[in-house]
Amino acid sequence: METIVETKNLRVEFRAHNSGQGKKVAVNDLNLSIRAGEVFGFLGPNGAGKTTTMNVLLGFVNATSGAAFLFGVDVREPIARQRIGYLPELTYYYKFLTAEELLRFYARIFGIPRAEADRRIDQLLKLVELESARKRPIKTYSKGMQQRVGLAQALINNPDLLILDEPTSGLDPLGRMKVREIIQRLKNEGKTVFFSSHELGEVETVCDRVAIINQGELKVEGRVADLVEKHQANLEKIFLNIIGYQPQLSV
Amino acid sequence: MKKLGPYLILLVLLAACFSLATLLQERAAGWSKRGQSDNILKVLLGDGRRLFANHFFVQADVSFHGGYYPSLFDQANRPKDTSHLTAKEGEPAAEEHEKQMNFLGPPRDWIERFGRHFIITAHTHLEGNKEREILPWLKLSAELDPQKVETYTVAAFWLRNMGKVKEAERFLREGFLNNPDSYEILLELGRLYYENNHDPARARKIWDLALRRWSEQAAANKDPDLLTLDQIAGNLARLEEAEGNFARTIQLLELCKKASPHPEALQKQIDELKQRPAARPPAAAPGPR
Amino acid sequence: MNTVLALSGVVIKELYRRKDFYVLFVLTAVITLVMGSVSFFHDAKIVRYVKEIALLLIWVSALVIAIGTTARQIPAERENRTIFPLLAKPVTRGQVILGKFAGCWLACGLALIVLYLFFGVVNGSREHHWPVLNYCQAMWLQWVMLGVVVAFVLLGSLIFASPSSNATISFIVVLGILLLGRYLNQVALQQPEPLRTVVYGLYFLIPHLEWYDVRDLIIYDQGLVGWLDCGLATLYAALYMAVFLLGAWLVFRRKALNQ
Repeated sequence: METIVETKNLRVEFRAHNSGQGKKVAVNDLNLSIRAGEVFGFLGPNGAGKTTTMNVLLGFVNATSGAAFLFGVDVREPIARQRIGYLPELTYYYKFLTAEELLRFYARIFGIPRAEADRRIDQLLKLVELESARKRPIKTYSKGMQQRVGLAQALINNPDLLILDEPTSGLDPLGRMKVREIIQRLKNEGKTVFFSSHELGEVETVCDRVAIINQGELKVEGRVADLVEKHQANLEKIFLNIIGYQPQLSV
Repeated sequence: MKKLGPYLILLVLLAACFSLATLLQERAAGWSKRGQSDNILKVLLGDGRRLFANHFFVQADVSFHGGYYPSLFDQANRPKDTSHLTAKEGEPAAEEHEKQMNFLGPPRDWIERFGRHFIITAHTHLEGNKEREILPWLKLSAELDPQKVETYTVAAFWLRNMGKVKEAERFLREGFLNNPDSYEILLELGRLYYENNHDPARARKIWDLALRRWSEQAAANKDPDLLTLDQIAGNLARLEEAEGNFARTIQLLELCKKASPHPEALQKQIDELKQRPAARPPAAAPGPR
Repeated sequence: MNTVLALSGVVIKELYRRKDFYVLFVLTAVITLVMGSVSFFHDAKIVRYVKEIALLLIWVSALVIAIGTTARQIPAERENRTIFPLLAKPVTRGQVILGKFAGCWLACGLALIVLYLFFGVVNGSREHHWPVLNYCQAMWLQWVMLGVVVAFVLLGSLIFASPSSNATISFIVVLGILLLGRYLNQVALQQPEPLRTVVYGLYFLIPHLEWYDVRDLIIYDQGLVGWLDCGLATLYAALYMAVFLLGAWLVFRRKALNQ
């Protein structure tokens, strides 16, 4: 099966804010491999290196050493992002544009012909239930609506790989359910989904494989069912164990 | 009651502010003269308005030269005077001005050479009815600095040239109200009455007053301009000569000699006048018949 | 090219949906019309001062639009986090720079067209004479100059900490060049060494934006600037635009965009 996302000995260092501390290693020797058609969960506590890894894959940050590939193309090449869709955790879009204008703008960047872009925009706005608000500027949208616009723009180019950073963050239960439905639908269509989340219950339900990262290092990777069987615990307990959480003893 | 609380406090504060303002009003009036002025520009700009007034006066000069004008850096090397604004062709002021306006010189480098394609490089003066274009700047300058006498005299000169005699007179009178000691404005006003209104009696009175003002300033050691004295006395002398009052003419020419760069020419004129028959003595006081 | 045009379209939409341009245009129009309605010594045929004031306001407004719009482009993208979904698309950082530049420059051009149309109408109604070619040339030269300013401010937006500091410094530099650029060689000659060399070096280094200010030619009814000179000035400006944009790209490509 085709490898869609691959990192090889990926290392990312940043200069520490306090000059006395030298460099901070955000990602240390990370080797990941995500295959076509998988729903892959990327887990870790805050500051573990999840967002940094995603930043490298998306070309926002350059790796200090190692390499990262999307569809076999080095992530530093813009063409690597032709077939991906990305939904950031904090969704902010051009507030003076309407949802329709925003999607048209991104469609134009992908080089999607006008007629096809119109068709997709109609389809996506229906999917994310923003048809009635399509002509309103985004600054008038609620957080949930902005999140849905974000999802629509991530899908405008009919991506083969969807990268989602905390896709259900800030959503109500109905919103979360809809996101799960969309992820399931994409999986059924053979798309690959790579997402980070703190909602372990959700990850357990939706993901084929997961990786848990802590302090920049990959701690565990594998199918959810296999991990649960191996550790004889649910995903939450596995996660807490890996990050070294010790429950307080009762007096 | 709780809901009304903040509004009541606001009302009390407003009342306190109002009361304090009425108490402080008298004191504040004494802090600064600027605030007492009825001129909004004086209140807004203070004495800085003189800078703007000067700028607009220079702008009038720039306009007069069709945009061809030395920069501050060119002017630093050659002091610029504006007597050319009212000088006629052939006069010394005009000739001196021609020399001063030759400031461009050959370009020092390719940037300067290329840059000259985008600026005005020919020395011209406004002609025909186009001289009206300098008037707005002079008016603005006078509004900002009513004590700048030159603004009134230059504007009046051009207004007279354009046939706008009434406007010139009005403007000069406005200038005189703001500058009651100004002999320059009186000189120009006298010219207006003599040359445009053909009213020598009035012109004489104005020029006599101008002479008195000049003398008062000389007596007070204020160092008034000798060139203007020459012009006042010279104009009066011409008027008196035309009316046949040779003795008075001679008195005035003697005054001119003090200021003139060519006293010998004036002496010659005086000698000629003394030769003339019926060099009437100055008018005596009317006596019984 | 498509991406660059798409980006520039977003910038232009932002300009006409913000209030800035309308405020500046209304201010320009009101001041010009008020000054035009004033009667000086009961002479209705005085026209030049209106031209002078109108053109000065057009220049000030255009500079405010150029610097204000450009200074906030990239910082706003980063602050509002819109840069992330943008760069997650197949868009290079160079295209972002070019797109922002094209958008700001085109926006200035549109603003200039509106302002000069207004100027033409006001002036024509007084002078009964429309030197259209002169206006077009003046507008072209001003637009080309604004291209240099936009590129310069774009570079500044990647170097300075905030849009306000960038805008302030850019205003000072641009006004300094417009007012003093022509005379730096004279100033240099009056200085002792080594200051003379420094000032002269600066004189050759700075983009001579004052060449593009041909207001005096319009006000005093002078002829057109030679078309060859116009072309060479355009080329000179294009070179400086390229230098500043290249500098901006070199700075931007190294910037880490951490979420």
